[in-house]
Amino acid sequence: MVNNAKILIIEDDKDMANAIKMRLEANNYEVLVENDGMEGLNRARNEKPDLLILDVMLPKIDGFNICRMLKFDEKYKKLLVIILSAKVQQTDIDRGGEVGADAYMAKPFKSEELLAKIEELLHARH
Amino acid sequence: MPDLNVEQQLVIQDIKTKFSWSIIIRYVVAIISAILLFVSGYSGSISGTGIYLILYLFSYNIFANLIVFFKKHFSLLQIVVLGWLFQLLDLVSITFLIYITGWLESPYWFLYLVLIILSGFGVFSYYSISVLIIAFISTCFYLGLLFAAYFKFLPVYGPDFRLTPQELLLSIYNKAVFASIAFFLLAITIYYFSKLLNQQREELTARNLKLTVALEKMKDVDRLKDEFVATASHELRTPLSVIRENVALIKDGITGSVNEKQLQLLISTHANIDRLAGILNNLLDVSKIESHLFNLNRQPCDLCQIAKCSIDFMTINAQKKNITLKLTCPQKSINLIDQEQISRVFINLIDNAIKYSPDNTVINISIEDNPTQSQVSIEDQSNGIASEDLPKLFERFVHIRKDTNAAAEGSGLGLSICKGIIELHGGKIWAESKLGVGNKFIFTLPKIGE
Repeated sequence: MVNNAKILIIEDDKDMANAIKMRLEANNYEVLVENDGMEGLNRARNEKPDLLILDVMLPKIDGFNICRMLKFDEKYKKLLVIILSAKVQQTDIDRGGEVGADAYMAKPFKSEELLAKIEELLHARH
Repeated sequence: MPDLNVEQQLVIQDIKTKFSWSIIIRYVVAIISAILLFVSGYSGSISGTGIYLILYLFSYNIFANLIVFFKKHFSLLQIVVLGWLFQLLDLVSITFLIYITGWLESPYWFLYLVLIILSGFGVFSYYSISVLIIAFISTCFYLGLLFAAYFKFLPVYGPDFRLTPQELLLSIYNKAVFASIAFFLLAITIYYFSKLLNQQREELTARNLKLTVALEKMKDVDRLKDEFVATASHELRTPLSVIRENVALIKDGITGSVNEKQLQLLISTHANIDRLAGILNNLLDVSKIESHLFNLNRQPCDLCQIAKCSIDFMTINAQKKNITLKLTCPQKSINLIDQEQISRVFINLIDNAIKYSPDNTVINISIEDNPTQSQVSIEDQSNGIASEDLPKLFERFVHIRKDTNAAAEGSGLGLSICKGIIELHGGKIWAESKLGVGNKFIFTLPKIGE
């Protein structure tokens, strides 16, 4: 694992967010959590985490849009984004690609797979 | 009410077609008459009358032609009235033609038959009565003409009959009877024929309508079912995710150490959550396959290559039980298939074979090619399945083999999905088994071009 990498989780389900946070912290990542989409977007812009774990079914704002707003912005496009979603149709996966997500994982996910993907993306970037 | 409109539309179209045909026929008759009149050269007065007749025929025919040409849409009433108007004009013209071409001797009475046929041709049941009416009016006109000429109500045109009045009368009676019978026989034949046709047409239309309505309903129900399944499976995913993660966190010691018994239970819980997740994933697929909405991405692929990859993927599982996976295949086997889905089938079947095979056995995967299809068999050395259970294997949610190891039981959906995928490719899948010897799962895939 890449030490001290900062990961932001934007997920409205508090239990889900907490479970992922615990898993990531156990693997020595610094974890930030936001349950609201807009606040999550702002936090991403302010704190500039290394990686973002993004749920797409968020109230008030579509997770895909958050991804697009960050990825298509010069200042933030270096941010790695993993979309985590209960929507697993091919159309959803394609949409993830369109908005620039670096990975698309379906819920329920295997934590080993999530960790492996995070490592893979962080290593590729450094 | 929509029924009536559709039917009305068809009637209007029918009558319009008939109308157009009658215009063409009138042109033809007029031209032929003109030629004949010119060639045969009747006496001056007849020629004159003949010419007037032909001009008259042309003029109202042209009038009819113009109406059809300029007015594109007719109401039912308009087209029926027009139809009758021109049919009556035709009757008058034919009668007049017969009159000036020798009335009794005139061959043109056959034109009445033409009119009768045209009247009855393709008309809807309510209106097929018109064919009988036309026959009746034709008879009246023709007989009227014959007797009017006989009784000298009309100036007599045409050749002089060297017959006595009695002979003439007899001749007229013969002609009258013959003509009337001919007209009515023809009319009745056409009437019943068209009635029969219309009946069948109506039945077909009604049945089609019923089928269309039923189909629409089915599509609706199908769509609702799929939406429901998609929503349900989607709603279940997040809580399922949370449960799995929470259990995993405790199991992996991240929240503190766990004792032996706790660990066992947690491992079992986690495994069952995986099972649930698998069922969820399969549920949507099964629903889609059954609705034929499953989109195959068919490309020319090498079946052997897919088999090899699937075997590699399952090797680790096989090694846990010291099971050997053997592949026999030709150099290459190219088929037009969806690589991802066929891989799924391979993996599912191999996975089943591994689950139910005892340790230290062999699983044989073989691919045979012939010009029309490729056949894949996956043979294991398990306990076998009773023959009465074999057909049930591919049904949904069926567990035939009760294994003591709970983890060995799948969702029961895998084989039905395999069946769906293979059948969507146009192939067949089945199982053969010998109790105590082993099972053989076989599927076929048609070759490209099929």
